Amino acid sequence: MSVRERVTVTGIGLVSPVGSTAAEVFDAVCDGRSGLSRPPAGHPLHGVLDVAAFAPAIDPASVLPGPESRVVDRSIVMVLRAAEDALADAGLRVGHDVDPYRVAAIVSGVGGLSTLEEQVLGRAGRGRFGVSPYMLPGTLPNMGAARIAIKFGIHGYTSSIGTACAAGAQSIGEALRILRAGEADVVLAGCAEAPLFPTFAYAFGNARALARGWADPAAASRPFDKRRNGLVLGEGAGVFVLERAAHAAARGAHRHADVLGWGATTDAHHPTTPRPDGAGAARCMRMAVRDAGLVPGDIGYVNAHGTSTRAGDTAELAAFTEVYGTGPPPLSSTKGVTGHLLGVSGVIEAAIAVEALRRGLLPPTHNLDDPERAGEVDHIRDKARAVAVDAVLSNSFGFGGHNVSLVLARPA
Amino acid sequence: MTDEIRAFLLAALTEMKYDVSDVDDDTVFGPAGLDVDSLGLAELAVRVEDRFAVAFDDDEAEELAMMTVGEFSRAVAARIAPASAH
Repeated sequence: MSVRERVTVTGIGLVSPVGSTAAEVFDAVCDGRSGLSRPPAGHPLHGVLDVAAFAPAIDPASVLPGPESRVVDRSIVMVLRAAEDALADAGLRVGHDVDPYRVAAIVSGVGGLSTLEEQVLGRAGRGRFGVSPYMLPGTLPNMGAARIAIKFGIHGYTSSIGTACAAGAQSIGEALRILRAGEADVVLAGCAEAPLFPTFAYAFGNARALARGWADPAAASRPFDKRRNGLVLGEGAGVFVLERAAHAAARGAHRHADVLGWGATTDAHHPTTPRPDGAGAARCMRMAVRDAGLVPGDIGYVNAHGTSTRAGDTAELAAFTEVYGTGPPPLSSTKGVTGHLLGVSGVIEAAIAVEALRRGLLPPTHNLDDPERAGEVDHIRDKARAVAVDAVLSNSFGFGGHNVSLVLARPA
Repeated sequence: MTDEIRAFLLAALTEMKYDVSDVDDDTVFGPAGLDVDSLGLAELAVRVEDRFAVAFDDDEAEELAMMTVGEFSRAVAARIAPASAH
């Protein structure tokens, strides 16, 4: 077996409802500081949704030149900020510390659908005169990667992955593949989602996917709790700077954690419902662990996808117990605090995994009053658990039956 | 008419987040002046078409980059004139 190139995380940038660094987000999930709230008066979702997870406002002109900042989706604005922060965290200047043709960017998400909604409304009112020629660069799903490339002078491979809520994790997985193959020295891997606009909110609501009826908005997202009744939509962006470990070492960069392995499978079952037995997810977790050169028992903590939907959480626990049987590692879902940032959740949760490894602290599942499979699964409840772990696994599953698992480890 | 068109152009450019404080009739739209990019010029053309009920061919929209604000205002005015004579 050939020795694989070790891949390391040297930078993280986040835009989220609960913080803009891995440390801030981790503190929030450990302390139960909820990112969930009622849509404020004046927000397009006021009166549309009960609860959502809002990220801070960002002035588009702070990340794009004036004219370009006018018709541009919030997802692109957020991901430009996240990329800027990730590169600063990595202490990396493209063209100075690395050849621009040896830098790749894989930036995913569903694209600028709220901007598309605005343009559709403009078209309905004023025909072709209501449609801006800026709509395409403002909305296409590849534009996060393209605009990051333009802003930071990245000339290598760029792309966007469209696997819904698995897309952020898959971007990190594809980055690992590219770095291992020696096709780049650095990859910016991330995702951005801006789903908080009426058409999308109604679609999720009418699909009966959303949490409803909670007097306290902070109680609405409750992964694995028996009273859960749906997910809470959230917005944000996250970008990782991933690097060949040798490249990071040569420039003296700090390694936050290593990405050791990944797995990807597909349920081929139903467009939105996961396979109830979790077989595809179980296979995915095993694949990631094997790709990392580990066995399931080496994993010290699992950050679950756990979106707080009935079907999704049940299937994931089925997969988890299928892999681990008796003697499972501690498990939690951090979406009780963050809400579900769709594709971005895989990036945020990889950042949480990095902090868990760094601090030897495992975050709890918020609002987990009455856990499913309480006897079989070691749910982390109520408060963070101090345990030094060497490797953690993070799951992300997307509409379409896409399963992705990542294994992260302390730098070695 | 030319004054009205010029005022409309400056208002549209301001709304499009271009700085028009130093713009006069001799300022070109392209890199030597306002530096409006191809999509910006396309949008400006659509706005003028909407407001003044004129139509530009694709190549005319491209030529806009070479024109000054004054030239374009007069060209639009000339295009409107025959119709308004009826």
